Amino acid sequence: MKKKIVSALLAMGMVMSLLAGCGGNAGGSAATTDSGTTETATKSDDGGSAATTTEPGEVTEFTMFITMPGSEINDDNEIAQMIADKWGVKVKETWLTGQTASEATGTLIAGGEYPDFIDSDEMNLLIDADALVPLDDYIDQYPEFRDTWFTPEEWDKFRQPDGHIYWINPFGNTMGESKATTHNDEAFWIQVKVLEWAGYPKIETMDQYFDVLEGYMAEHPTMEDGTENIAYTILCEDWRYFCLENAGQFLAGYPNDGSVIVNKSTMTIEDYNTSEDTKLYLKKLNEEYNKGFVDPESFTQTYDEYIAKLSTGRVLGMVDQWWDFAYTVNDSFKQTGLDEKGCNYVPLGLTTKPGMENRWHTYDDTVNQASGIAITTDCKDPDKAFKFLVDCAMDQELHDLRFWGVEGVDYTVDANGLYERSPEQRQNWADTSYQASHRCQYSYFPQWHGTSRDGKNANKPEEQPSEFMNDMAKPLKDCFDAYGVTTYPQMIGSVVETNGPWFPMYSFSNNFTTETPGGVAWAKMGEVKHEWLPKVVMAKNFDDGWNQYMEVYNACKPEDFLKEMQDILDTFK
Amino acid sequence: MAQTKVKEKKVKVTWKEIKKQKFLVIGTIFLVAYGILFYYWPLTGWLMAFENYKPKSGILGSKFVGLDKFRFLFGDDVFIKAVRNTFAMGVINIVTTTFMAVLTAVLLNEVKRAWIKKPIQTISYLPHFLSWIVVTGILHDSLSASGIVNDLLLRFGFVNQAINFFAFPKYFWWIVAFAQNWKETGWNAIIYLAAITAIDPALYEAASIDGADRLQKIRYITLPGIKPTFLVLLLMNVGNVLNAGFEVQYLLGNGLVQSVSQTIDIYVLKWGISQNDYSLGTAAGLFKSLVSIALVVIANAFARKYTEERLF
Repeated sequence: MKKKIVSALLAMGMVMSLLAGCGGNAGGSAATTDSGTTETATKSDDGGSAATTTEPGEVTEFTMFITMPGSEINDDNEIAQMIADKWGVKVKETWLTGQTASEATGTLIAGGEYPDFIDSDEMNLLIDADALVPLDDYIDQYPEFRDTWFTPEEWDKFRQPDGHIYWINPFGNTMGESKATTHNDEAFWIQVKVLEWAGYPKIETMDQYFDVLEGYMAEHPTMEDGTENIAYTILCEDWRYFCLENAGQFLAGYPNDGSVIVNKSTMTIEDYNTSEDTKLYLKKLNEEYNKGFVDPESFTQTYDEYIAKLSTGRVLGMVDQWWDFAYTVNDSFKQTGLDEKGCNYVPLGLTTKPGMENRWHTYDDTVNQASGIAITTDCKDPDKAFKFLVDCAMDQELHDLRFWGVEGVDYTVDANGLYERSPEQRQNWADTSYQASHRCQYSYFPQWHGTSRDGKNANKPEEQPSEFMNDMAKPLKDCFDAYGVTTYPQMIGSVVETNGPWFPMYSFSNNFTTETPGGVAWAKMGEVKHEWLPKVVMAKNFDDGWNQYMEVYNACKPEDFLKEMQDILDTFK
Repeated sequence: MAQTKVKEKKVKVTWKEIKKQKFLVIGTIFLVAYGILFYYWPLTGWLMAFENYKPKSGILGSKFVGLDKFRFLFGDDVFIKAVRNTFAMGVINIVTTTFMAVLTAVLLNEVKRAWIKKPIQTISYLPHFLSWIVVTGILHDSLSASGIVNDLLLRFGFVNQAINFFAFPKYFWWIVAFAQNWKETGWNAIIYLAAITAIDPALYEAASIDGADRLQKIRYITLPGIKPTFLVLLLMNVGNVLNAGFEVQYLLGNGLVQSVSQTIDIYVLKWGISQNDYSLGTAAGLFKSLVSIALVVIANAFARKYTEERLF
């Protein structure tokens, strides 16, 4: 009998602990709501201005999911804590791991539980699932933010068919005078040591580009430490296969519309997949592949393997977007001293024929209305969440804290009020463990390029002219001097031109779903290109490979896709 | 027959009887509830396959479209290929893993010294506890152009240029089979080893007296002795042919080999989750389940006819 009672008690205990587990959660979230509502009350008192008058001690923790790989910061991150103390908000960011962006989003939807903030490449799926909070009313509560962040036309681009705005793109906004020093776009990149070896020649076409690479390889098959050099590698994993896929549009002299070419004079959509420029581009890659100058692991490497490879300094050139590699790779060059050996990459604005205008660099702010930061219906306190979002954009102190760090620790202010950093501070800023414990950028919250509200400093250190110059390793500086330029955009030398209001077209095709024939065609084209572009490059006989590819490609009915894109372009006539 | 009659002696269901068996009844209720909740209730989701499901409107509110999704499915070249790949990899995996497991068990059984046998056994089943992400990571590294495999091939002069194994569709199924075997052989062998232990030692003694050598003992005693285990496992595995895997193919695949690497599960993920077409994903999953059930029934019928072993 005694035994029975004991086991009954044990069983009950187990059940209770299960229930307690559930109850604990509910209690926890209720507490968050509580502190949240008081916060809302205080806020509505001060008329919803963007002022930062938060009582200390009321910290709301929000969660955020970003469908991009990234590094998590420590829970006790110093700047995150300072932000929490002053603005009352802490955001726990989680990043994409192992899945694709659309899988991760789909999984969230299937599960029906969302983080408070989300930045996804698949916003339309989230709207379909009723997961997002319409932001219109909130935006109108902060007129100053509304009027500075976007123009009314730009806001309208974000308006969904149901008339609401659900997300805000945090990137690509320039405040005041532009201080763009980086080429935050796609290019054929090349290491400065290769250019130095070649005597800084003028490189305008792929032929010249590969001539230089081949010449360098012949003389330097290995690095100083014996690691074998790789002349050219191609990243091809999942959506990042743009490194192989869309160079054709740039080589033809068009800007980055991403999924199609827009012929401005006739206002027609053209397909760069089948264009002569793309064919020539792939033919050149095929030739180089068969000569052994293209990394044989190109099409099977993962993004991590690719970044690791670039970080060793053995890759001489590739096509990529600056943001896709430069932050990680440049930091690592700085840490290992490879930047002093000329491993940094500079962009080249190649075209099919020499002397053509190139449009690799985008001068205007690119407003990609396909994605951005959104607040989900699971967010307990959307008022406070939105207020923090506005603070990020409107409060210079917060902005400086995120991108410059702590005054006196991460930078100093000189007599003229200009921010500057010592080499040691720069080194720290690039150090991964320091980033995790100290630096907190909230990098998918609204942020500015250009000049700070003080009218002197740049909003981001890498755009501060003095910083930019001092941060450059000697070989890179020599290279810029040799070409008579001071910034990356000057180096690539794209024509200055304003893009049409439809730019970029990829922001429309990114939101295509398989509901329409064009969307199905788009999905199938992607699948075919993932398989066939590498096959064409690896083909023993290029023409055979290309013809087979075209056959399979045309079976996807690309015309359905192009027609829907044309319909969208027609709305801008 | 007599036995069944005894069993069928009816107990009248009265409150008193229920009270008497209350612990059993309560226990059973939990189990039945568990079964309904986690095995049968989710099946209502199959309805999605016949409608144009939208998360917003739910299963009951979405538009009914009949067999449209299935029509799209069987008209889609990629799906047909996915079915082919799943079957091919499933069959290759079953055949090779079973063969390797039996071989390992029999060979290990012949090792008479425990201090050799035990460590080998333990070491051989350790990989079972690694997750696929680790195994595929190791594989990806060792088969890369600068990995150990290419290094060996180059050093011994079998090839004069590193082979990029993951770039060629012809290698893919075998790489998967290799991974499967490397990870599971030791683990699968355990069950056969257990079956071998159950064989009456007297049989071996008798065979020795009759002058049978080692090979003959394996041929006439060990192998027939584990035949029942072998058949039951095979039957159960046949139902799993279409579960040829998801992680391995997903993690090892890339654009170049996608025409041979995509399995039904990956197809479901791609269309169901990534493209948000839950209905199509469900249709593909439903198809897979039906084929699996059919396979088990057919295999069971065969077993019933030709041997005395069966599942049901």
